[in-house]
Amino acid sequence: MQFFGGTEISPSPPVPTASGNNGNMMYIFNRNGVCLLYREWNRPLKTLSSQQDHKLMFGLLFSLKSLTAKMDPTSAEKGNLGVPQLPGQGCSFHSFRTNTYKLSFMESPSGIKLILVTHPRTGDLRDSLKYIYNLYVEYVVKNPLYTPGTPIRSELFNKTVDQYVRGLGTELAVMLCKKPSYVCVLAD
Amino acid sequence: MIGVGKAKQYANVLDRPIGKGKQEVSLSAFAFLFSELVQYNQLQVDNIAELERRLEDAGYAVGARVLELLCHREKEGDTAIGYSFFHTQHRHCDMMAQWASHRARVADSLEKGTEHEDEYMISEKELLVNRFISIPKDMGAFNCGAFVAGIVRGVLDNAGFPAVVTAHFVPVDGQHRPRTTILIKFAEEGTLDFQSLKKQRYRYCNEKQDWINRRENWSNGFGMLTYLLAS
Amino acid sequence: MAAIYSLYIINKSGGLIFYKDYGSAGRMDTNDSLRLASLWHSMHAISQQLSPVSGCFGIELLQADTFDLHCFQSLTGTKFFVVCEPGTQHMENLLKHIYELYTDYVLKNPFYEMEMPIRCELFEISLAQAVQKERVSLLGR
Repeated sequence: MQFFGGTEISPSPPVPTASGNNGNMMYIFNRNGVCLLYREWNRPLKTLSSQQDHKLMFGLLFSLKSLTAKMDPTSAEKGNLGVPQLPGQGCSFHSFRTNTYKLSFMESPSGIKLILVTHPRTGDLRDSLKYIYNLYVEYVVKNPLYTPGTPIRSELFNKTVDQYVRGLGTELAVMLCKKPSYVCVLAD
Repeated sequence: MIGVGKAKQYANVLDRPIGKGKQEVSLSAFAFLFSELVQYNQLQVDNIAELERRLEDAGYAVGARVLELLCHREKEGDTAIGYSFFHTQHRHCDMMAQWASHRARVADSLEKGTEHEDEYMISEKELLVNRFISIPKDMGAFNCGAFVAGIVRGVLDNAGFPAVVTAHFVPVDGQHRPRTTILIKFAEEGTLDFQSLKKQRYRYCNEKQDWINRRENWSNGFGMLTYLLAS
Repeated sequence: MAAIYSLYIINKSGGLIFYKDYGSAGRMDTNDSLRLASLWHSMHAISQQLSPVSGCFGIELLQADTFDLHCFQSLTGTKFFVVCEPGTQHMENLLKHIYELYTDYVLKNPFYEMEMPIRCELFEISLAQAVQKERVSLLGR
């Protein structure tokens, strides 16, 4: 009784081309759940208002973190489900993939959450997120006019991030099947 | 047949005639149907013995009909008159075993009971009806093979060998699953004397030769036996 | 070391109907596994809402620091997911095979009530065989 033929059940969007439409959107949250930055490059489907969307995203990350912390099969002491975890505490996650997108997640020890949503077939983006975090430190934190905890309004930062993610798309289209070592080249 | 030879293209898949397809029944379809049969009967009863009896009754009705089918399908060459009764009976059981396993192969084994002359056992490693069924712990030794036992009883009874047929789980060493044994215990009047049967049969053949020729499906030992015992 | 840590099956309303542990550290009690299952159910649904393009069916793979979670959702909404070592391959096939076993030994069993916890001996036996086979082939690789 074979139910599954060779065809894929979940259709995925076409593989990105070199035009750089690989990144869909990016979020930056601080530890209180305030959305500091939302960048959008390619998002044809919008069902919610941006405020609700951000809330939902933050909630999803929060719950997934408590899920992974509780599910962690390698540690015996896991605490209770739903108790808020400090950044770096418990087992966290770095990405998940659906048939239409891949979400890469990074949390800094200070509680800054970086979320990058890309094409489902992109490789490991942990280093790219680190690089974006580096950009955040350079262009936002070091900016004397920026008040921590408020939405980021920095043209320079936006531009650099846009450029980086676009470059990511180009690189990824070429190196989709290769090892993700290109990031180091870019970061240098 | 209508439309034979015309290669007609049907735009809609629903308009296409159902092909004859393979002359087989899907195992899944059978499993679901049987599952429904058990579930329906389970709703109608309040104890397990009653459920077993109802399943057996359902099987009995099938067995009664399937006997005719078996007679009809019997090969022409097997019309040997001098069949010993035992042989016939053995073959009889063999065929039933075949049918009971719903497959074109003989059951894993057909054994004669060692303790009693009138007991036979059909053993199946995995009875088809039980293929997907796990019996809940609270139902004890209940076996859905009761249905198959019913079929066997139906065939036997209608062939003139009244018998009590039961299905049992028998544990096998080193196996997770117990095998199922269908135990056939013939009633007293079922075990006929071989000599008298043989005599009867010769007589029957001489008298009714022309009749047999006309009804070819009766010309096998099986049909005759049925006729004999019924008359 | 076990490559596969645990297996969950949840029904279309998010209730845990089957849970099997294959050697995680620190056993989970029934309450925890039930809550995790329903949490996963809602996370799965939310992930569909956040998709940038239409046609999203929810999370297929979650990569955590210490484990990978592979999830397969049947068209009827029943979800199967395994928790395994990071980077374990061929889990999609295993999940589909488990789905096949589920359709055979659970759904065709007249004593199984739909959407209720699975207590089918045959399912467990064939599942154990499938997981064992997967383990052997993982070790061989």
